Amino acid sequence: MKKILAIAIVVLAAATLFVSCAKKGSNELVIQSYMSDEAPKAAFQVLADQFTKENPKIKVTINTTAHEQYKSQLMNYLTAKEAPDVLTWFAGFRMQQYAMKGLLEPLDKAWDNTQFPAAFKTASSYNGKVYFMPQSWYWWSVYYNKDVFAKLKLATPKTWDDFLAVCAALRKAGIEPIAIGAKDTWTAGGWFDYMDVAVNGGPFHQDLTAGKVAYTDPKVVNTFNYIADLSKKGYFMKNAASYSWQEAATLMFDGKAGMYLMGQFIKDVAPANKKDSIDWFRFPLVGSNTAYGVDTPFDGFMVPAKAKNKENALKFIAFLARKDTQESFNKSLGRLSSNQNVPVPNADAQRGLDMVKGATTAMQFYDRDAPEEMASKGMDAIVEIINTPAKAADILAALDKERVRIYAAVQ
Amino acid sequence: MQSLRRRRLDFAPWAFLALPLAMYLVWVIVPIFESFAFAFTKRDSIIYGAVWVGLDNFKRLLGDGQFWLAIKNNFAWLLFFVLIPVPLGLLVAMLFNSGYKGDKLFKTLFYLPMTLSFTIIGTIWMWIYNPDFGALNTFLRSLGLGDIAVQWLGDRRYMTGALIAVGIWRQVPYVMILYLAGLQGVPPELVEASLIDGANAWQRFRRVILPLLMPATVVAVTISVIDSLRAFDIVYVMTNTKARAAEVLASYMYSSSFAFSDYGYGSAIAVVQFLITLVFILVYVNDVLKKEDAR
Repeated sequence: MKKILAIAIVVLAAATLFVSCAKKGSNELVIQSYMSDEAPKAAFQVLADQFTKENPKIKVTINTTAHEQYKSQLMNYLTAKEAPDVLTWFAGFRMQQYAMKGLLEPLDKAWDNTQFPAAFKTASSYNGKVYFMPQSWYWWSVYYNKDVFAKLKLATPKTWDDFLAVCAALRKAGIEPIAIGAKDTWTAGGWFDYMDVAVNGGPFHQDLTAGKVAYTDPKVVNTFNYIADLSKKGYFMKNAASYSWQEAATLMFDGKAGMYLMGQFIKDVAPANKKDSIDWFRFPLVGSNTAYGVDTPFDGFMVPAKAKNKENALKFIAFLARKDTQESFNKSLGRLSSNQNVPVPNADAQRGLDMVKGATTAMQFYDRDAPEEMASKGMDAIVEIINTPAKAADILAALDKERVRIYAAVQ
Repeated sequence: MQSLRRRRLDFAPWAFLALPLAMYLVWVIVPIFESFAFAFTKRDSIIYGAVWVGLDNFKRLLGDGQFWLAIKNNFAWLLFFVLIPVPLGLLVAMLFNSGYKGDKLFKTLFYLPMTLSFTIIGTIWMWIYNPDFGALNTFLRSLGLGDIAVQWLGDRRYMTGALIAVGIWRQVPYVMILYLAGLQGVPPELVEASLIDGANAWQRFRRVILPLLMPATVVAVTISVIDSLRAFDIVYVMTNTKARAAEVLASYMYSSSFAFSDYGYGSAIAVVQFLITLVFILVYVNDVLKKEDAR
């Protein structure tokens, strides 16, 4: 018994010592990051090293957590008594919901209107205050295999009818027309955003993601009819729901599938010798619409209101806003910088930028514009509709019931 | 003097038990009551912003189609977990118990799935179920059954069935081991006596061995029921809880709490799951206690 007591005392003493050690060092900066993929992780480390060089007194710690796990932990990071100082995150509603609850620190001090376009400020603010520092952004578009299109003498489609004709030609040639890795249900989120804006226009879609329109609204049903129609015609790759997004991308790289609605980061996973056979075109226009929308997610950083080393955090945020640091991070990844003074990294990004500039509607993405639970259930519903298009009406009715509850809880 | 020694003896087991009991209290009992309390609140964090909402979460459960789907799936798990692994495990145990050459090897091979974690099993079966080049569909196509070579894990209609099949695959060896242990307790004299009395193999099994295996059967059924009710690992690994069609109570509790930060609602689901499990546990404990009394 004495021994146990002695051991217990030693363990307790050690624990106290450990905790007090952790509490000491006030000149720290703790960054919680979801950049677990190799390329962005390395690019971010370069920035951290540079920050350390400029501020040798601040000890920088980066804790990296895989994406999905990070999302489920975020609320705990934000509400911890001694929260991390800087968090990687997304702009739009995904961030604003936390600002709404008073969990975020305003970053207005680090914001410079001459550095960032107005659209970025809107997506980074809540109630007139900036809570988010955007770093990089990219676009979604229809990626396609140039070699396949050349072999079948196909032109990139501009309208929905052209698009259907291309699908038919690909199907006839024994190639899966549309790749989609629907095991990751978010891939269906892109289809939802683009299809709904193309069919019903941007303002309607924004109302829908804001919860103001029912999923059973005839206009929404019409959007889903377009998606269900593609499925009925067999234009989505078969067994789509069994493929992850990268596995489906491989089909397109190998010329077994023709097209893939995806973000620019698809290039990150293309093998070096296939990168040049992959190109993209704008999502086709439906009917007489000439206006179009684009998904342009902004990635960046926020500071919890309970951050332990707030001063250092704000210093780091100001550092991240700078032209040189944004350029350093985005150049290697081929993404666009939020800081408008950074030159576009390459011709491909210039095309992307031009497409975005011509758009009447810029979206963050379904799961960033709508509450996450809504988007998660919505995206599962789309995959289900692709699987069993005949059940679309029932699926949408169930989804709308969720909408009513989820938005009531958010407000 | 005598009384002092006695007291010390009484004290000793509690001294040894103190630490594990304290841990059990802190990590099992208290959290159970805490999640009961959580279930009556609305909160989007474990520590932050709890609002007392009374029975709201439970009322919401009643009208939640997804919850009823999870219950339905859970009962499908339960039904198949009792109907298939228990008889199958018994059959395999009987086969291996006859004691022929190499039975140890087969026992080991059969037991192997039990030694793998659900994460590994889930990953292996994801490959087996791959619709295009997985072992299952390749086999079906080779038999000319290409029509039923479907997306086992992609199509929302087949998901739960495919997951239960994996669970059963792992449960059978578990039950087998329970029965093999039970068979050790069957006195050979009784079997021999029935032989002398001229009982055939079926009569011997039905009238002598099976009744003697009753305790093993009770354990096997109870464990299968409880395992089916707490099914989570396989669902999580093989569907990532993104596909709602395969959701069971445990995974719905997980996604409500941790994916959607709706801890109050997740706790309400946990309470329901706890109560359902409790019914089966009480039945089992009651049975055990009765036997103890009879002794």
